[in-house]
Amino acid sequence: MTDIATQPEQSEKALFDYFKGSISDEIGYMREQKAAGRGIVGFYCEFTPRDLILAAGAMPICLCGTNKNTISHAETLLPANLCPMIKASFGYAVTGGCPLLNDSDLLVAETTCDGKKKMYEVLSRDHKMHVLELTQKPQQEVAFKHWLAEVEELKQTLEQTFDTTITEQKLRDAIKAMNAERRQILAIQQLGKHKPAIVSGLEIAQTRYRVAGFERHHKQMESFLSMAQRRLDEGYQAAPTNAPRILLTGCPTGQGTEKLIEIIEECGGLVVVQEACSGIKGVYEMVSEQGDPLEAIARKHFNIPCSCMTPNSKRETLLATLASEYQADAVIDLVWQACHTYNVESVLIHDFVRDELGLQYMKVETDYSDSDREQLKVRVQTLLELLQ
Amino acid sequence: MISCGIDIGSRTIKIALYDGSAVVDSMVTMSGSAPQQIAEECYQQLLNRNDLCSNGIAFTTATGYGRNYFSLADKASSEIICHSAGVAFLCPDAKTIIDIGGQDSKVMQLLDGGKVGDFAMNDRCAAGTGKFIEMVAQTLNIPVASTGALALSSNASCDISSMCAVFAESEVIGLLHKGIPAEVILRGIFDSVAKRVVSLGRKVGFRGPVVFTGGVAQNPGVVAAIQQQLIEHNIVTPNQPQLTGAIGAAIIGYRTAVARNSASASIGACQ
Repeated sequence: MTDIATQPEQSEKALFDYFKGSISDEIGYMREQKAAGRGIVGFYCEFTPRDLILAAGAMPICLCGTNKNTISHAETLLPANLCPMIKASFGYAVTGGCPLLNDSDLLVAETTCDGKKKMYEVLSRDHKMHVLELTQKPQQEVAFKHWLAEVEELKQTLEQTFDTTITEQKLRDAIKAMNAERRQILAIQQLGKHKPAIVSGLEIAQTRYRVAGFERHHKQMESFLSMAQRRLDEGYQAAPTNAPRILLTGCPTGQGTEKLIEIIEECGGLVVVQEACSGIKGVYEMVSEQGDPLEAIARKHFNIPCSCMTPNSKRETLLATLASEYQADAVIDLVWQACHTYNVESVLIHDFVRDELGLQYMKVETDYSDSDREQLKVRVQTLLELLQ
Repeated sequence: MISCGIDIGSRTIKIALYDGSAVVDSMVTMSGSAPQQIAEECYQQLLNRNDLCSNGIAFTTATGYGRNYFSLADKASSEIICHSAGVAFLCPDAKTIIDIGGQDSKVMQLLDGGKVGDFAMNDRCAAGTGKFIEMVAQTLNIPVASTGALALSSNASCDISSMCAVFAESEVIGLLHKGIPAEVILRGIFDSVAKRVVSLGRKVGFRGPVVFTGGVAQNPGVVAAIQQQLIEHNIVTPNQPQLTGAIGAAIIGYRTAVARNSASASIGACQ
């Protein structure tokens, strides 16, 4: 009797267990592919076009940068007052603790901030590195032309590294595959639109992954979507109907750095969407399947509203759209300590959210440690109480 | 109908009973090493001395750092919300609240009706909090309660430049070695606390009247230092500034109980 009643719950548990442990699956898959002769390309940022790496026949892997335990190792070489993401990423290189990094044939980096830019130089002493120079004025067509040239140069590097030719057809196939993957991730993100909620923000955050084009992961994401549909059909609620709906913006979170999402949801709020690279930022726009494929790839990535851009008005446009689509009650802006661009941009975001969207805004500046959890709870709980 | 508010802070526990128009009774005690146990004992003591039993309390609201762990509470509410409700009751005209507690300092902007409009809170840094002042008093070997009067006895102040509690202590020791008198150092410390909290408050803006609450508001040296930093407004301090959060919690609980129309159900004789 109890078996039947608890069966769906058990399958949900298995699903979440998969996502929690997906790193070992990804490592296994990567090793298998490498043994079969496939190239491995590690990268750190949404600006890196996975499509181009797939078109080269290589495997794109977003490398880890969310482990607080590697930070102290990074600080043996890097200054302590850098953002935790840079230190955690570099810490993996120092400790040699990330097989995904160790097995990469090529690292693709980008100039999103000065700290990362210089850290990559240190990293390049031991790893083959290609740095994409980002142009920072998204409203200037000349800036796009330079960025396109950067993407073309990456294409050449990939061709040389893996002794292949990236044809137009290969690019078109890769775009189709990546768009399908992006649509799947977007569909999961869009589950946050349901009111009352059928999935929590933390549950959505669990579905993140590192390896692009990994079939098993696609299947699990499909199962996640089916699970959500089942919950919807059964009238399941992941949070009370009146739970304040939070649009989380700013720096990305990752496995092990979901502290703020946990606090918001422990205090009775619901993170309905993340306007961040760990949320919807990288999948909101698809690569156009028309026109020149390389230019289409470059254009999609050029349009990412990262705080390293100036002015970054697209972030405001995206925030306005998301606030409306997800029926947000308030915006919480996450800034990792020493992330100067997001930190300073918060002044503009604060005014935009309060004055243009008419929503409550709160900025949280923190790092990967748990030392300020209680203080953050006071602030978050106050905000949530003000909304009720 | 009586409601109870309990503020389980990092250094002290405060409890207040409220009957819908006035604070009936209150109590302040140290949090100690077992704050939840002490909170329960205080709660019981307060009830006993008012001939109440727990089912004679219509609603209990907990606030402060221990708010989420007090098993006798009907609800937990953040200290920012509770302090604001308490101040709105004690000083109905208040527009801004400065609250300095054991390990936090906060500035809250009040809307008409006592609702919080905006607030700012220190991050993980302890400089400018009650704990910081306690630490300096300990270094100077002076009881905390005497520091205010001592600072006010000095016409001179000194510059404390460190933003870190630990380094500020080193700075204090350095000043002592240079022969700077303790009262001058204390004025310097209180000036630095005042500068920090006023700078924090500028983020939300100061509108008068400004009410100063929390345990540190009992220190006349800090009150004078903040007044000097904020000359455009008159700083008001309630009689028992430590109790503001507990009173606010009791008021919030009372309103919740009224809203739930639980009054009739909650009045019962002690068994």
